[in-house]
Amino acid sequence: MDWLEQELKQALARKEPAPDFDSRLRRRLVRTLPRWFAAAAAVIVIAGGGAIYRHHQGEQAKEQIMLAMRLTGSKLNQVQAHVQSIGERQ
Amino acid sequence: MIEIQSAARQECDFGELMREHRSMVFSVVYHFLHDRDQAEEIAQDVFLSLHRNLAELESPAHAAHWLRRVAVQRSIDVARKRQRRPMVALENIAEPSVKPAPGDLLLGELLRKLVVSLPETQRMVVILRYQEDLDPTEIADVMGIPVGTVKSHLQRSLALLREKLERRGVGER
Repeated sequence: MDWLEQELKQALARKEPAPDFDSRLRRRLVRTLPRWFAAAAAVIVIAGGGAIYRHHQGEQAKEQIMLAMRLTGSKLNQVQAHVQSIGERQ
Repeated sequence: MIEIQSAARQECDFGELMREHRSMVFSVVYHFLHDRDQAEEIAQDVFLSLHRNLAELESPAHAAHWLRRVAVQRSIDVARKRQRRPMVALENIAEPSVKPAPGDLLLGELLRKLVVSLPETQRMVVILRYQEDLDPTEIADVMGIPVGTVKSHLQRSLALLREKLERRGVGER
């Protein structure tokens, strides 16, 4: 590649459009979208929200079960220790 | 629901393609027309067209090729419409008061103006070769012209640019 080709490569390097290019494009895009798309987007948001809520409820139930099991475990340990101490005394 | 999910995925793909290729699309048009506002307008039209055709594109590579081809075609179409009121004529490019040397910013600007003054097909070949780093076969594919034509356009363009630069006292140091 000679000096002119090098200079052309530099002169024609890619450039970025204005920073608001994406937002202007999105605005133009929204104006061209069919109405069903807005409805579909709303359905996705609602369905997604429902799924997150159900997931959250499931997590809460799981935590409660784990707590109950930990409590039960500690009680059982106490009972076992108590039974063992009675056995040793006899 | 599947249709909705697919629409949502397409939106996501579109955002990624836009971020990845906006500088390529914008620069092809900008270097061809040398008009920033018009280049942004046309680049946006290209992406709106991509959005309409997203379902037909098979892969990100296919989308990139498609975008490049549409950007090239739109640029040439606009230039042809403009031909009724000619753009920068080579004779109208002002002589710089200080002679630019290789590596100068002034030389970069002068070169961009000289490139815009080339005939349409030669100009686009030069842009695809030096902006996009495509080889003659790839350029021929994007522009839909024979490889031999691409090579001769490249040689002729370089000779013309070299001659114009030498006439302005710019040459290899």
